[in-house]
Amino acid sequence: MAREILHGVAVSAGISIGKAFFINRQSRRHIPRETIPASKVDYEIDRLTAASNMVRDEFEAARAKVPEELREHGAIIDSHLMICQDPKLMLAAATRIRDRGITAEWALEQSVETIAAAFSAIDDPYIRERIQDVRVVAERIMQRLLGGADTSRALEERMVLMAHDLTPADTIELEQDKIMSFTTCEGGKTSHTGILARSLQIPAIVGVEGLEECVRDGELVIVDALRGRILIDPTEDELADYSDLKYQFENYQKSIIHQCKLPGETVDGFRLDIQANIELADELQSVLDNGGEGVGLYRTEYAFLNRKKAPTEEELYREYATLAERLAPAKVTLRTLDVGADKMMNTQEKLEEANPALGLRGIRYCLKNLDLFRMQLRAILRASVHGNVAVMFPMISGIKEVRQARYQLNLVRQELDEAGIPYNPNMPVGIMIELPSAVMISETLAQEVDFFSIGTNDLIQYSLGIDRANKHVSYLYQPLHPAIVRSIKYVVDAAHRAGIEVSVCGEVASDPYCIPILMGMQIDAVSIAPQAIPGIKRIIRQVNMEECKQLLRDVLSHATVSKINRKVRQTIFKRFPEELTFFASLLDQDD
Amino acid sequence: MRNTITEHEDCFAAIILVQNELGLHARPAARIAQEAQKFRCELRLVVEDQEVDAKSILDILSLAAVRGTEITLKGWGDDARQALEHMADTLHRTLGEGA
Repeated sequence: MAREILHGVAVSAGISIGKAFFINRQSRRHIPRETIPASKVDYEIDRLTAASNMVRDEFEAARAKVPEELREHGAIIDSHLMICQDPKLMLAAATRIRDRGITAEWALEQSVETIAAAFSAIDDPYIRERIQDVRVVAERIMQRLLGGADTSRALEERMVLMAHDLTPADTIELEQDKIMSFTTCEGGKTSHTGILARSLQIPAIVGVEGLEECVRDGELVIVDALRGRILIDPTEDELADYSDLKYQFENYQKSIIHQCKLPGETVDGFRLDIQANIELADELQSVLDNGGEGVGLYRTEYAFLNRKKAPTEEELYREYATLAERLAPAKVTLRTLDVGADKMMNTQEKLEEANPALGLRGIRYCLKNLDLFRMQLRAILRASVHGNVAVMFPMISGIKEVRQARYQLNLVRQELDEAGIPYNPNMPVGIMIELPSAVMISETLAQEVDFFSIGTNDLIQYSLGIDRANKHVSYLYQPLHPAIVRSIKYVVDAAHRAGIEVSVCGEVASDPYCIPILMGMQIDAVSIAPQAIPGIKRIIRQVNMEECKQLLRDVLSHATVSKINRKVRQTIFKRFPEELTFFASLLDQDD
Repeated sequence: MRNTITEHEDCFAAIILVQNELGLHARPAARIAQEAQKFRCELRLVVEDQEVDAKSILDILSLAAVRGTEITLKGWGDDARQALEHMADTLHRTLGEGA
C-alpha cells in the first residue's frame, strides 16, 4: 500500500504518475500578528505597496503570455489585476497599519476578512464565491510579504503540480507542457482549475483534504482522476497497475471519442436514442461534439433565476427558437419551469415551508402562477415552428395536474390562433414521472400524454424517502433497490401498452452498470450529461438485447439490494472489463 | 446607443439598465473599475440605497446587480463630463443586451 491515500473531487478525468511539485503552500508558515512602533508605520506601508506592485507586475507579465485558446483565463487574470490594487483591499490595509499600528501581514489578513464578511451576506452565489478570487490574490501578496516566491521556481522536468489553490496566473507562469496534472486543497466541481485542466486535457483533482500536510516536494505520487484518489509514495505493484491503467485509459478515450458519432444501437439492431440533459444554449456544442442525438431534457430554469424581474416572452421565445433551429431535425424537449425546493427565483415569494421538497414546486408552482406559466407556454409554442420541439411538465402527481396543464396549453393555442401567430399544432406533450404516485397511475397517465420521461434522481429520493445530500441517509440512495427497478419497469410497460414513448433521464441512465438493465426494459431513449454520452454509447454498441433481458430477469429475481448490486457488478464487469476499470458507478457506494 | 447624460447641481449622472444574462459579474466589474481608474474625478455607482466606488472591483461586485437592475452612475470633479461619457459607454458595452 502507498504511504497515504488522499481523496478529492476529480474534475478532469485521467491518470498521471510523477513527482510532486508544490506551489502556494499555506501551512508551515508564520504570519506576524504584531503591533509596531509609530516610527515603523511608513516602512510597513511601503512593504505592503511593494508587495502588491510586485504581484501586479507578475499578473501583467502572465496576462501578456496568455495563449489565444485560453482567453477565458486572460479575463480572470484581468479581474485579479484589479483586485490586487483595489482600494477596498490595499488602501484599507494601509489605513489599518497606520491606525492600529500593526504589521502589513496582519493588516492584509484583516482586510480580507472584512471583505469576506461583507461578501458572505450577498444572496447571489456566483458573486459570493468571488471571495475566493480575493483570497488567492491576497495570498500571493502575503507570500511576497513573507519573502516567499516559489511560483517562479522553474520546472525542470514534467511534474504533478500541487497547490493550496491555483490562480490562472500561476498556471500561465509555469511551463504548461511540463505540468502533468493539477491537484489542489481548495476548490470544487466548478473551480477554474477544472476548466483549465479540461481545456489542457490533463487530469485534475480538487478539494483534497490533507494534501499540504502529507506530500513532500519531489515525492512520487499517482493522481487517479478517474476515482478522485491520490496515492503518495506508491508501491511497485501499484505503480505497475496504474501504468497499465493509464495506458488503457488513454487508448480508450481516443477510441470512444472516435466512435461517439455512431448510432446507439445494440449488436442485434435495437436502437436507443441517446440525448443530452442541458440547461444553457451554450452547451449545445458539447452535445454535438459528444455525439448527442438531441436534447431530452432542457432545464428552462436558468433564464428565470438570478435576476430581478421574470424574463419576457420574447426573450424566452428567442432562446427556445435558437435551440430548436440549431438542433433540427433532432428533437429538443423543453421542461417547463421547475422551481421551488432548492431553486428559487428572486421574483418568487419566499414561502415558509417545513419541507420544500414536498412543497410548492414544479407544475404545482406553475398552476398557481398562471400568468408566468402561460407566458412560458406561449414562448414554447411559438418556438415549435422552428424545429422539432416537445414540451414536458415536471412533478406530476395525478391526472388532474396533467389536465390542468393541458387546459392552459389549449388556452394559449387559442390565443395564438386568434392573433394569427403560427405554432406546431402537433407538438408532443409529455410528463416527467418522478413521484411514486405517478408510477402507480402511469397506465392512466399514458392515455393523457404523448410521452413519459422518468426522472430517476427524484424518483429514487421520493420512493425511498431519503435526501441524497443528507450524509446520514445518503447510503440509502440505491438506484437498484427492487422497488426502483420495479417502478421503472412498470412505467415502461404502461407506456408501451399505450403506444407512447418512454425515456429515462437521471444519473442511472449514465451509469455503465445500470444502462444494460434499462435496455432490458426496452426503453426508447435516455437523456444524460453530454460528457457521459461517448462511454454509454460504446457499451450499448457492444450488448445484445437478449443479455440485457437476462440481466433484468436476474435483477428482478433477487430480494436484496446488496445481492442485486453484486450480481450486476459481476456480470457487467466480466462483460466490459476494459471500460469499467475507468468509471466509478453509483453502485460503488453500496457494500 | 446614445447615452443620456444629465447635469445636476453638483454632479453628472447617467442611468444604465443591466441587460446581459449574467448581470454585473467579475468580468464587467473588472472592466468598469479599470476604465474608471483612468479618470481623476470621483465616480460612483448607485443601486437603490447602495452607493459604491466605481474604481473598486470589490465594491462593484458587492452591488450583486442581476439582470434587470437599474444602475445610476455619478461623477464629480474636473473631468467628470468626459468620464461620464466614457463610462456610460463602457457600462452599456459590458452590461447591455448581448454583452
